[in-house]
Amino acid sequence: MDVALYDFVRGPFLRFALFVFFLGIAYRFFRVVFLGLPPDYARPKGNPYYMAVKKILIKPTMGWTFNEIFSRRAVNYVGGFLFHLGFIGLTFLVPAHALLWQEITGLPMPTMPNIISDILAYAALGSLVVLTVHRALNPVLKLLTGKDEYFANFLIAIVLFTGLLATRWAGSGYVWLLSLHMLLADLLIIYIPFSRLSHFIYYFLSVGFMGWNAGKRGVSF
Amino acid sequence: MFKNMESLYDLYKNKGYSRREFLRSIMLLSATLGFPPSMFPDVVKALESRPKPAVIWLEFQDCAGCTESFIKSTSILPADVLLDYISLEYHETLMAPSGFYAEESKKEAIEKHRGRYILVVEGSVSPKDRGVYCTIGGKSNAELLQEAAEGAGLIIAVGSCASWGGIPYAYPNPTGAVAVSKLLKGKEVVNIPGCPPIGDVIVSVIAGYTITGKPPELDSLGRPKAFYGQTIHDRCYRRPFYNAGRFAESFDDEKAKKGYCLYKLGCKGPMTRNACATIRWNGGLSFPIQSGHPCFGCSEPDFWDRGFVYTPLSVVEGGFGPKEALLSVTVGAALGAGAAYLNKKLRGGK
Repeated sequence: MDVALYDFVRGPFLRFALFVFFLGIAYRFFRVVFLGLPPDYARPKGNPYYMAVKKILIKPTMGWTFNEIFSRRAVNYVGGFLFHLGFIGLTFLVPAHALLWQEITGLPMPTMPNIISDILAYAALGSLVVLTVHRALNPVLKLLTGKDEYFANFLIAIVLFTGLLATRWAGSGYVWLLSLHMLLADLLIIYIPFSRLSHFIYYFLSVGFMGWNAGKRGVSF
Repeated sequence: MFKNMESLYDLYKNKGYSRREFLRSIMLLSATLGFPPSMFPDVVKALESRPKPAVIWLEFQDCAGCTESFIKSTSILPADVLLDYISLEYHETLMAPSGFYAEESKKEAIEKHRGRYILVVEGSVSPKDRGVYCTIGGKSNAELLQEAAEGAGLIIAVGSCASWGGIPYAYPNPTGAVAVSKLLKGKEVVNIPGCPPIGDVIVSVIAGYTITGKPPELDSLGRPKAFYGQTIHDRCYRRPFYNAGRFAESFDDEKAKKGYCLYKLGCKGPMTRNACATIRWNGGLSFPIQSGHPCFGCSEPDFWDRGFVYTPLSVVEGGFGPKEALLSVTVGAALGAGAAYLNKKLRGGK
């Protein structure tokens, strides 16, 4: 039974999820591009393209300005950094995942040993829990958070948790847990393009756009 | 008659083996079956006093590979003891009589050992078209199975064909082959899958029945938990290389020779439950992964139809490469552009 489910989630369902993922990502991008922006005849007050590139390059280091940002948003920065490092590392470099990316892209992918992936998984899961609790308690973040964010956090957490369980603690339930992990990962792949998680692909585009806007208005970020 | 009353210990004595050798075999058997050390005296007593088991071995849609595996099983019992101990009352490949006499001897054995004999079935059963695709002595295989199963004390399906349907069951399954358990509804069938299964496992399950008088503890698919409770990956000697992220890139490359994990070459060990990595084959000498070939999961249901022998487990079955990605991106782009056009049109170009 468990092997039949495993075959389904790594076979037809994963294929379906990947089709939806690539289709959804392209759909959102081209819809926005073709809709375009309203015409803006104002002369740029700064250099939008320079600011777009600058924003992309320095955003990950912005928390280093201790007095201005880090001291007030340490949880966001430390938690966010650990979570993203863990999630991206696990997504691309765990051997089983790397081989999947290798098949999709046709490019060779490096792999990481279990000890590193374990550390990343604990870091990502722990920081995701902290970030979610912080989000629920922080008066400002609470107002910015909807069901979408909580659902996304829950889905990612459960994918990480089942992956960790399957690798480390499954015992004789390994195939069941692995199948559950893959089923949830398939759902996550489908969910990404249609939610705020689409920054998985559009991160640089959206950050660049924010920089471009700041440059156009001649303000700092 | 007297011969059938012999116990395992009598056989050891008659063949010139010492008691120490007998006890060594029993210790190995107990360990293989997962019995606790405290049970050892009872196991010895049972095999000293209980008569050897009567076995009726039926072959249907098979290749006799399971029989080969069984008779080459020498880890637990010496070969000369094994074939005398497990009293094969009927076995088409191994028995001396043939034709009418063979069928008569089977009938006699069924009557003589009714309620006690062990029925071993090798190969799948084909009930389709009234069983014309596999007949013996003018009777269909399904009929023969029902006939023999009725008075059996224990029913064992050996091999993937008998357990799941196996190769004959694979697409397009022209003979309508099915697993033994499908035709014996309501009866407990012990499945010992594998292509072929490990001979020592077959011997242990049969000897275990003689000791306890009960079938072994089974999992949800009817497999003995003692042998199919863990995956090959869990017990594989190459597992540390998997954990360290070191993989062989091709057969026989330097990394493969160093013993690196065969996951990238398509090893199905992580989801295959069997005892290959612990009991191994040919007296514990080796098993496929040790010989440099990835496991292809022969003991799991439908292994043949799963058809991805040399692709890693995690990749998409059926394939999803750059071409498929590009196709879905193109469809998505067309849909996105179309939706934007409609949005604009409905808003009058704004």
